[in-house]
Formats: sequence, structure tokens, C-alpha cells
Amino acid sequence: MSARRLDAGRVAYYTLNGAILTFLLLPLAIVAVFALNPTPYISFPPVGVTLRWFEKFFANEDFMRSLWLSLRVAAMVLVLSTVLGAMCALALARGRLPGAGILTAFFMSPLMLPAILTGLALFQVLLLSGVGRPVWGLVMGHTLVAVPYVLRTTLAVLANFDTRVEEAASSLGASPVRVFFEVTLPLIRPGVIAGGIFAFIVSFDQFPISLFLVLPKGETLPVVLFNYMKFDLDGAIAAASMVSIVMALSVVLLLERVIGLKAYVKL
Amino acid sequence: MAQSGRPPASIRIDGVTKTFDGQVKAVDDVTLDIEAGEFFSLLGPSGCGKTTTLRLIAGFETADAGRIVVGGQDITDLPVHKRDMGMVFQSYALFPHRTVAENVAFGLRMRGLPKAEIAERVAAALKQVALDGYEARRPSQLSGGQQQRVALARAIVIRPAVLLCDEPLGALDRKLRQSMQFELKQLQKELGVTLVFVTHDQEEALAMSDRIAVMNAGKVEQVGAPSEIYDRPRTRFVADFIGEINLFEGAWSGGRFVTGKDRTLPAVTNGARSGTGIIAVRPEKTRLVGEIDGALGGRIETANFLGGQVLYRVVTDEGRAVLAKEQNVGTSSRKVGDRVGVAWMPSDAVSLEA
Ligand SMILES: Nc1ncnc2c1ncn2[C@@H]1O[C@H](COP(=O)(O)OP(=O)(O)O)[C@@H](O)[C@H]1O
Ligand SMILES: [Mg+2]
Repeated sequence: MSARRLDAGRVAYYTLNGAILTFLLLPLAIVAVFALNPTPYISFPPVGVTLRWFEKFFANEDFMRSLWLSLRVAAMVLVLSTVLGAMCALALARGRLPGAGILTAFFMSPLMLPAILTGLALFQVLLLSGVGRPVWGLVMGHTLVAVPYVLRTTLAVLANFDTRVEEAASSLGASPVRVFFEVTLPLIRPGVIAGGIFAFIVSFDQFPISLFLVLPKGETLPVVLFNYMKFDLDGAIAAASMVSIVMALSVVLLLERVIGLKAYVKL
Repeated sequence: MAQSGRPPASIRIDGVTKTFDGQVKAVDDVTLDIEAGEFFSLLGPSGCGKTTTLRLIAGFETADAGRIVVGGQDITDLPVHKRDMGMVFQSYALFPHRTVAENVAFGLRMRGLPKAEIAERVAAALKQVALDGYEARRPSQLSGGQQQRVALARAIVIRPAVLLCDEPLGALDRKLRQSMQFELKQLQKELGVTLVFVTHDQEEALAMSDRIAVMNAGKVEQVGAPSEIYDRPRTRFVADFIGEINLFEGAWSGGRFVTGKDRTLPAVTNGARSGTGIIAVRPEKTRLVGEIDGALGGRIETANFLGGQVLYRVVTDEGRAVLAKEQNVGTSSRKVGDRVGVAWMPSDAVSLEA
């Protein structure tokens, strides 16, 4: 009897998970099909398999320039937002600041504003202050919306942090600086890295903010793709999407491999 | 291998007060003299300020008033990491991201010792707590008792002059706790370290300590050897908190202790005493006798067989419940409902301060 009930529960569990995964992954499968379909316009069902759209994507100078720029910007955003986000989280969780709640809401607010407004505002600030639209402006804009992700994941780790562990370290002779690097930082690292991955992805496929902050011939990949789509809707778009997905996935796996999320996940 | 590289230090806590949030007096004008090499327990109910006192010694809290002197040096303003004390936390507070060996090595690494010496001392410390072979495990892969021993090894490997333990055995099951009590006591004697031990378990404190400070609501009620605390409690709180005891409220008049309707109870006569008072008598200090003069007459309400002893609950004619413990000599024929008299030696009645 109980074995049967267990089976029914399992079936329901796997069915639900299967449904959710299908829902999440189906668009990717469709993009993959389009990227490999030889017809010169996006159509269904596919009539064959070809790599010509990938060839077109990699041969296109605009695509390559913007892909490279997007990767560079996302890498800078990753570094900046993890450092800033982790420092903010530590200050907010540990600093006994007056009005820490309000400050947290303030730092999280870029998530609540439509990004297009943030982009417009940044555009005006940069223009009015006469600096034009340099790449660092783009990096700043992306960082602004990426920091909340790092902040949130790091605050979540800090909320469950047993400060006795830090006390133990100091009783064993570790100065406050050493406590930070030997204990605090390694223990909040999973949160910071998880936030950093979000930050990278937020920057890599950022569209509304980039739209305002890029110069002609200095566009990021999403902007170039958008412009391309206005005139051509062929498989190159799908191929570009596939490449983006693979790039983002590689960064996640690389971070996971190099810095090692697994060892700490069981905190 | 003798681990003690340093003579133990005495601790003097001098009029220390700690208030949280401007209202809770967690520690209230506490003065304690802990001797070098002593096993000293802070005993009291939950919330009485034991942990806070320990954290003040360790330096995790700063005192509002008073001084703390360790080994003759005033350390009141010394930061934690320069105090050189071993600390075992109630929750163990092991480093979850480090192996057992790395946990134990931490303090030595902070001291910048050469690698070879660290390895040697870590191995010796793990051996002392019977955890050799567990070097490469992570804390999450250990049982509670093993984690507790890693925490102990991590604290003693730095050869501190003072070892602070906050209910280190609290999370262990009864059996393991008893064997760890014995081992910890043994280890403390071997290391010759001054150990300040926090517990709310009176049996544990009585069994392990050289001396005990009984705390209540932030204050120290009494300091003394276990036998003193048990046999000669000074206050009602201490008498009540430690073991089972019969309390009689009454008044001193003409050197005698009188309770209820003009009934004189056995107590050491003292002509100087007058006014209201309380006397306390341990159940095992009482004798059940016939209904003779001077004994409290009553009826046995319950009899609990404890193995070596029998604990009787006698309800006296005045309606008071009195506990009496008798050795089980195998010949007793008392049963529930019997009329008996409860008596004790005047010298076994302790007169308490309010
Ligand atoms: N960090 C703190 N903030 C506020 N109150 C505290 C803090 N630490 C302890 N207290 C209070 O101080 C009192 C004594 O606590 P504690 O020393 O932990 O007692 P014990 O260890 O004897 O159970 C309690 O009333 C407790 O609530
Ligand atoms: Mg406590």
C-alpha cells in the first residue's frame, strides 16, 4: 500500500519536473532547429541540416566585433559587481548602519525600475556631463543593474552565517583582516559567485540599457542582433543565439570548475 | 607527549558588569578569583549570564565596568586575537570549509609556526582526543561527539594558558557525555591548563569541578568546592538549584528554629540568631524513625526505589511534603501509607540567607 502511494508520488514528481524542464528548454530546442535549418527564412518544419548560418555569423565582421565587446564588457561587469556587491552586502549585514533596511532597498531598486528608464537616465547624465558614450559608461550602466543580484545572493548567505566561526578564528589568534580572508570570504564565496554568474549573464544579454549607451560601430551583440533582425530574419539570428547560449554556459562551467562551487554548496 | 608548554594562568574578574541594549544586565558586578590550573565551573539556569561571563573573559564582549586580569596581566582592553586563550563553543563553530587537520592547524598557522612543527602538533592533538585517522574528513562528515573533540583539539593545540568551554558536552547523548566528562577532566589535569567550564547541569559541575560558581540573574550566588556547594548552600537559590532538598521556612527564637504551630526543628542552636529564616535538609541526611519526640510525624505517600536507595515522600501532619532518602539495606519493611517520623541531626540542617 505504502509502496504504491510512493510510486504515485514519484510519478507525479517526475511528471511535474519533466513538464517544467520542457517548458524551459523547448525554446532552446526551437532555436537550435532554426539554426540548423537551411531555408533562408525561419520556418517549420525543418527541411535539412546545415552549418551555413554559423558560417555566416562567424564571417560577419559586425557580429564578431560586437560579440568580443559584449564578452569584454560582461567580464568587467562580473568583476566590478562582485566586488561592489559583496562589499555592500557585508556593510549592510554587519555594519550596524542606521537605516540599513532603507539602504538595502535603495541598492536593490535598479531591479524594480524598467531598465529602459535606467538606460535613458544614464544616457542623459553621460551626455549632459559631456563625456559622450565611452565603453566604461556602458560597463557602469550594466554594473548598476548587476550589483543587486550579487547583493541579494550574498545577503542570503550572510543571513545564515554563524558568526561564532569567525569568533573561533579570532580566539585562535587571527587578526580581523585574517579572519576576513581565512573564514568570512571563503564562506560567503558561493553567494558571491552565484551573484557574479547572474551579473555576467545580465550584462551579456543586456539590451535596453545598452541601446542608449552604445556608439555606432561600438554596439554590443544584443543591439547588433536587434538591428540585424529589423532587416533580415534568417538563421544567422538563431546561430547567434546558440553561440550566446554556449558562451554563457561556458563561463558558468568555467567559474564552477576553477573556483569550485560544489565544495561549498552544502553549507 | 606533554602538550603543556606554558604554565597555567590565574584569572581575576573584578567587579565586571555587562548590559545588553541598555536594559538586560546579563552580568551584574561579578567578582571571581580563579586559580591557576583549576577546573572552575560557572553553573546556573539558562539565561543567568554564564555564556556572557565566558565571552567577557575571551574578549568577544567588552565589559561596561570592571577589570579582567589573567596571569597578573590586565587584559580588559586586549583584543581577542592577542589573548591566547583556547575556546570551545557550544555549537563547536568548526570551519566548515576546512578538513579536520586544517581546523586543528589553524591556530598554529596564525602563529606562523614552521610546517613540520604544525604537522607534528596537529597529529599529537588529534591523538589526544582519539581522532587520529580523521585528518582528511570535513566537519560535516563527523558525528556530534567527533566534532566536539575536533573543537577541543583545535583549542588545546595552541597550548593556551586558559581554556574556555561553553557547555561543550551539552549536545551529546547521556552515555557519551559521561565518558567525555571523564576524558575532559583527565585531559585538563594532563595539560595543567586553567579551565573555565560553563554548564547548566549541576551533576556535571559537581562531578568535574575543583570549584563552582553558582550564578543567578547575572550575579554570583556562591563560590565553593562541589562538596561545599552541595552540603553548605548559602542561599535558597543555591540550595534549590543543586540536587533535591527540603526547605523549611520559620523563625529563630531563643536560639531555636521554630516553624508552623510552634514546632521546633532540629538545627544548630545559635543564640545570636533571630527573626525569620529558612533551613534546608538534604533527603539523604534525614532518617525515618518511629513517631518519637522531635521528629516530624507523617505518612508515607510514595516510595521510589532508586536501586541503592529508596526515596520516600512523606506528608507531615501539617500537610507539608518532605523527601527522605534511606539506604536500601534490604530489610526495610516500610510501605506507602505507614506512619513514620522524619528526623535529622541538627548539624545537617543548613541555615540559609533569604
Ligand atoms: N548579544 C546579546 N544581545 C542581547 N541580549 C543578550 C545577548 N547575549 C545574551 N543576552 C542576554 O543576557 C542574558 C544572559 O545570557 P547568557 O549569558 O547567554 O546566559 P546563559 O549562558 O547563562 O544561558 C540573557 O537574558 C540573554 O537574553
Ligand atoms: Mg549559554
